[in-house]
Amino acid sequence: MFKPLKLLLSTASLLLASQQPAFSAEPVKFALCYDLTKAYTFITPQIAQSVRDYAEVLNAKGGIEGHPIEIIVQDHGNEPQRGIECYEKVKQMGAITVDFLSTPVSRAVLPRAMKDGTVMVQALAGRGDAVDGDVFKWVFTLGPTYWGQAANIVGAYKKQSGDSLKGKKIAFLYIDYPFGQEPIPVLQELQKREGFDLQLFPYPLPGNDQSAAWSQLRRFQPDLIIHWAFSAMHVVAAKEAKRNGISLDKMITVNWFNEVDLANIGADAAKGLRKSSVVVSGTAHPLMQQITKELYDKGKGNGDRKFLGDTYYNVGLSIYAPVFEAARLAIKADKWPLTPEKMRKGMESLKNFDADGLVPPLTITAKDHGGGGKTRIDMWDGTKWVAQTDWSADYSDLVWATVKKYSAEFSKAGQ
Amino acid sequence: MFYRQAGTHHTTYRAAQRLFPIPFDRWQIGALLVIGLVAPFLIAPLYLKSYVLPWLIWTGAALGLNLILGWAGQFHFGYAAVMGIGAYTAVHATRGGIPFEIALVLAGAVATVIGCAFAITALRVRGLYLALSTLALQFVLDWVINKVPAVSGGTQATIQAPTMRLLGIQVVSDAGQYYVALFWCALVTLFMLNLRRTGLGRALVAVREKDFAAAVIGVNSFYYKLTAFAMSSFIGGVSGAILIFTFYHAVTPEQFTVNVSIQVLAMVIVGGLGSVIGCYFGVAFILLLPGIVANLIFAAANAMQLKIGIELLAHIPSLLYGVLIIGFLLFEPLGLAKIYSNLRNYLIYWPFGYERK
Repeated sequence: MFKPLKLLLSTASLLLASQQPAFSAEPVKFALCYDLTKAYTFITPQIAQSVRDYAEVLNAKGGIEGHPIEIIVQDHGNEPQRGIECYEKVKQMGAITVDFLSTPVSRAVLPRAMKDGTVMVQALAGRGDAVDGDVFKWVFTLGPTYWGQAANIVGAYKKQSGDSLKGKKIAFLYIDYPFGQEPIPVLQELQKREGFDLQLFPYPLPGNDQSAAWSQLRRFQPDLIIHWAFSAMHVVAAKEAKRNGISLDKMITVNWFNEVDLANIGADAAKGLRKSSVVVSGTAHPLMQQITKELYDKGKGNGDRKFLGDTYYNVGLSIYAPVFEAARLAIKADKWPLTPEKMRKGMESLKNFDADGLVPPLTITAKDHGGGGKTRIDMWDGTKWVAQTDWSADYSDLVWATVKKYSAEFSKAGQ
Repeated sequence: MFYRQAGTHHTTYRAAQRLFPIPFDRWQIGALLVIGLVAPFLIAPLYLKSYVLPWLIWTGAALGLNLILGWAGQFHFGYAAVMGIGAYTAVHATRGGIPFEIALVLAGAVATVIGCAFAITALRVRGLYLALSTLALQFVLDWVINKVPAVSGGTQATIQAPTMRLLGIQVVSDAGQYYVALFWCALVTLFMLNLRRTGLGRALVAVREKDFAAAVIGVNSFYYKLTAFAMSSFIGGVSGAILIFTFYHAVTPEQFTVNVSIQVLAMVIVGGLGSVIGCYFGVAFILLLPGIVANLIFAAANAMQLKIGIELLAHIPSLLYGVLIIGFLLFEPLGLAKIYSNLRNYLIYWPFGYERK
């Protein structure tokens, strides 16, 4: 068994080694070990495409402090075993950050990254408590936790309804597995604080059948529906909403809602739907304009042009704009060669970074690896997303108490 | 050719009953063992950690499933759940201060008890019905792990495994963890090889071939089926625990879901039912090949400067992998082990192939 295996592996490494870098300076390598074939395919192609596009645009301008950016993309098929293999491989290839964008794989690799001291980007997936920089020294979430998103949604709704939620009925509709269950403790605590009426409406995996949840939801007649779901679940929910006579303008979804879901629901039918956003939508932003002009107009894009303007494309930019900026700060402050330690410091020196209005201002500190956790509410008006609120983070005390509760358990177990 | 039998005379029963009567087989096993022992010094850490180590652990687990599926002929669609029981038991036990060695036995014991509890109900039925009952074990366990925070570890649903301590010594190095997995895999292999020659093993085969025919010749099929479930659950539980402590270092529900059960089943079937060496081949094929094929394709596309979309590029290996499975099973429906034994038989008789007729 050893022989053919070793032969295959050595061929692969030879082929990899024969690649020649195009720049004279050494490249800065960022690894995206993504699930391109199984459960996360509704989001990973757009994100990988946008990160590569962005890297190319930056490279055309001289890269990061003269060093070209190299993006390593590999598929792990959402299997922890292959994710670990990818992690070990890209670490050896000298990747300065690793990113898995899959909850199971992130969870499986996290103990290794913490032990080895590898900077791990874990935005919008994986452990929520990893935002706690005191405990998760090497993990950067670069955005809100699901607890934070839920708190921000409630906060925005409170402002909208005249600063009081007394007597309001809020329904929490979710897919019944850890991703959907995560916000529950925060919502229950908020119910105590704000005195609204909260009811939970779970529906089972894979989310194709939501009829039981929705018929109960109709009896509850909520003022607001908070929906934790992704991909096709949104389409099923929209159908059920129509059947039960509940208007979609009562619904605010988690950030996982994109233009594909929108097209499947129908642009008109989705009018009034709101979502929690972590990045500006559409193609109006100067960076998007630049990518369109320099790459796609010349036919050099890293993927399908139709994805430009897809929310998940922008999410990719929102994750990697701070990462590239941190690498720049790190090289500027501590000189080449870039080490994980320097990269971590670079990340922690990001201050009010908003990529010219692309993302909410991020300030990452040694304690807060999420950068503040700000989100805003966007509404679909039938043709475009319209911002309803400013970037804000509400109930931070509660969110951080929840984070600390879980991260304390992690640090207790780690020893 | 290599397997010369000339001059090998079995003059005693003991010699005739040896595990490997042909000298060349013994040489081979010896050489493989030596390679296995020096592997940490020969193989680059990347390949040791992410290919060889999981290969050994999963082989141990697949051998356990092969015991129930290949030897006793009973379907088991909930094997990942059994491994999960062992993994969660061991992690909770060591976190509670129980030494790793005892936790490992405890993991096997708890997996055995729960596995057998389901087996008793499952053994009233046969064939596809049994397959469905064991599938129920899988779903009940998935549900319990997901819904009981005391088991799963709450919202984050992941529990860190404490550092493994063997006989008071911390095992943190790659080589140390590799040897633990190698020891367990070798132990299970030895057990399975010997099982063939015991009365128990022959009784299991009798049950597999026809359970009421076995009853006619005085083999209590219910007892032996239950024994098979118990043994395979024990092996599964311990393998699950070893998987966590040497490879994942943290336990989460997704590591033991239904698709993992199907994967182990595929390992055993592609490898060859009732074959020990088949498990080694099957695990390599199902577990390692997708990653290796993907790496090769990525590397080839990079080297040729092909500008294929990454999404398409990621799907080509899946396609190839599917073709490979169909190809192998068409070529030899009895699994990779049969291909090996065909080759071995050819060499034994070469150049007098007509002797085989």
